[in-house]
Amino acid sequence: MSLHFLKLTPTFEVRYILDVIMKTVHARSLDPLPMQGPELGFQADDIERPDMEQESKQEVLENKVVIVQRVHIDGLGRTKEDCLTYEIADVFRAKNLIDVMRRAHEARQKLLRLGIFRQVDVVIDTSQGTVVQGVDALPNGLDVTFDVTELRRMTGSYNTMVGNNEGCMVLGLKLPNVFGSAEKLTFQVSYGTKETSYGLSFFKPQPGHFERSFAVNLYKVAGQFPWSSLRETDRGVSTEFSFPLWKTNHTLKWEGVWRELGCLERTASFAVREESGHSLKSSLSHSMVIDTRNSAILPRRGALLKINQELAGYTGGDASFLKEDFEIQFNRHLFWDSVLSASLWGGCLLPIGDKPTCIADRFYLGGPTSVRGFSMYSIGPQSEGDYLGGEVYWAGAVHLYTPLPFHPGKGGFGDLFRTHFFLNAGNLCNLNYGDGPQAHLRKLAECIRWSYGAGIVLQLGNIARLELNYCIPTGVQSGDRICDGFQFGAGVRFL
Amino acid sequence: MCNLPVHVSCRSNAEYMSPSGKVPFVHVGNQVVSELGPIVQFTKAKGHSLSDGLDDVQRAEMKAYMELVNNMLLTAELYIQWCDDTTATEISRPRYSSPYSWPLNQILAYQKQWEVRRKMNAIGWAGKSLEQVYEDVSQCCQALSQRLGTQPYFFNKQPTELDALVFGHLFTILTTRLTSDELGEKIKSYSNLLAFCRRIEQSYFEDSQAGSSSRGYSKGPSLF
Repeated sequence: MSLHFLKLTPTFEVRYILDVIMKTVHARSLDPLPMQGPELGFQADDIERPDMEQESKQEVLENKVVIVQRVHIDGLGRTKEDCLTYEIADVFRAKNLIDVMRRAHEARQKLLRLGIFRQVDVVIDTSQGTVVQGVDALPNGLDVTFDVTELRRMTGSYNTMVGNNEGCMVLGLKLPNVFGSAEKLTFQVSYGTKETSYGLSFFKPQPGHFERSFAVNLYKVAGQFPWSSLRETDRGVSTEFSFPLWKTNHTLKWEGVWRELGCLERTASFAVREESGHSLKSSLSHSMVIDTRNSAILPRRGALLKINQELAGYTGGDASFLKEDFEIQFNRHLFWDSVLSASLWGGCLLPIGDKPTCIADRFYLGGPTSVRGFSMYSIGPQSEGDYLGGEVYWAGAVHLYTPLPFHPGKGGFGDLFRTHFFLNAGNLCNLNYGDGPQAHLRKLAECIRWSYGAGIVLQLGNIARLELNYCIPTGVQSGDRICDGFQFGAGVRFL
Repeated sequence: MCNLPVHVSCRSNAEYMSPSGKVPFVHVGNQVVSELGPIVQFTKAKGHSLSDGLDDVQRAEMKAYMELVNNMLLTAELYIQWCDDTTATEISRPRYSSPYSWPLNQILAYQKQWEVRRKMNAIGWAGKSLEQVYEDVSQCCQALSQRLGTQPYFFNKQPTELDALVFGHLFTILTTRLTSDELGEKIKSYSNLLAFCRRIEQSYFEDSQAGSSSRGYSKGPSLF
């Protein structure tokens, strides 16, 4: 879930007929509102201050007490009304005209957030005639109407993707609002030259509380990991509940996965060969997120705290472990246009019982999206060139983002690029859980790998980030593979 | 039989660890070699071979008998384990699925059964009845018994790869518990084959059982 800052300019006309004067008032949106929910894809526009032509009229509009007598929604087809009444209920509580406009705007945002309407228009009018049975129109009564256009019942998409010596064709099918209460069903098949993957997912928000939702996923995903000479095929099912609690967002998930591991080539090391075979993992996980950043890709302010734990083995399956990991990030705006950002990641995997941990559950470190200057996931325990991952890791970074020197292309294309200076550090190892915490801390503190450098960052909308860095890795241990000099990285989540 | 030090390790995922998908396989230094043919060639390249003393005619004869064993005995074993419903339900599927938890154990056991049945279809054994399979085994044993005659090993005094292969199959058939003893009885009816098996077990595996710590051979089933 990412946080979007949407600045909208809905135009709605307020025809307010005073006793004597008819006046048309155009009102612009007041403040941008933070939003959470499924993707919407709106363009950002500029805000304009409310623009009242005459001061006296503004006073009148603010001070005039109004009552909202009727709020209704036009243009509903298959959407059930009861789930929408929660979204628009707030409008009834408005006290004066400015309040009505603000609450109507908020209700519009909520209706759009459901992801089932293509367009929502608001019309505020005075109530005339008989509003409902037995209730006559009041002289200061208002009638608010939402004109909606529902999305099509089914949309499809077709893409081709090329990458990592593999080409594939991706077919997607999306059914928004399947049963009328904003449920969403998506199906995706990726048919590639090497592997085939598919996924089916059903998402249902709770009517009235859109932040609380329930999702079921069914998937088969195949992946190849050349740094470990490992091939992994996962077939699984997962169910998750998401709900907010005070300022935090929680997600509870149960997942059952049938994992099949194999060697990518004949020259794989024996340690990786020993991990081949089938296993079943059935795990419960909980994740808590507090995200106050303005953007997930290249934030300028705000902080992120994410704590995730996973317990496997108590609901069946072969794998049995407790896994904890966390992610912290702070961003602060400094002088001029620069941003200072600090982040810390860490995690540990505790096996429960006698069986050792599986290579598919362990942590990996290194690469253009984590400790820069090292090859992809090429830090830590390894055997004959294949990286086996570790049970404990930590990684930290400090970045300074500045605009491009000499500001080329300012105001346009140049604003998408930023230069950054970074310092990354991290360590990945296996712990002997018999020793005390002192020994553990000491082991994590010795053999720290770190790197520093500078580079250019390009932000691709709110979807991804590209980086080209010049890195100088230091603290390299024997067995690590480095990538000093220029390194290119693309992704969503960067250290 | 070559007197090479070997450590036997039992893993539930041995089939998937093997580069060709079949057991047995050996891990020597950096190399992993699977199936009898490549293993024999590998040891020969390192300078150890059991069939050095044979001339070309005998070597060809040995290869022919090994093919017979592979085509007959191996296929019959697979048929009895997986195509016979009683054996499959009572013995093979529970045994194959024992390392995994539900529902993976059911999925993998049925997958293996379908795979073996497809293979039987492909080579034309699917139409055979259990009696016919027993008959085929009997004929194969008769051929082996005739070749063995009264000699200690198939080719005079020294054991060869053929002896190792025949011992492996016969020993397994005699010591594996199935729903009926008919297969074991068929083998036992050829007394020289039974004596052959006992002799090899005594010479090569009794010693290692006595010094099991150094050899790493766990105490397994025995003919005695």
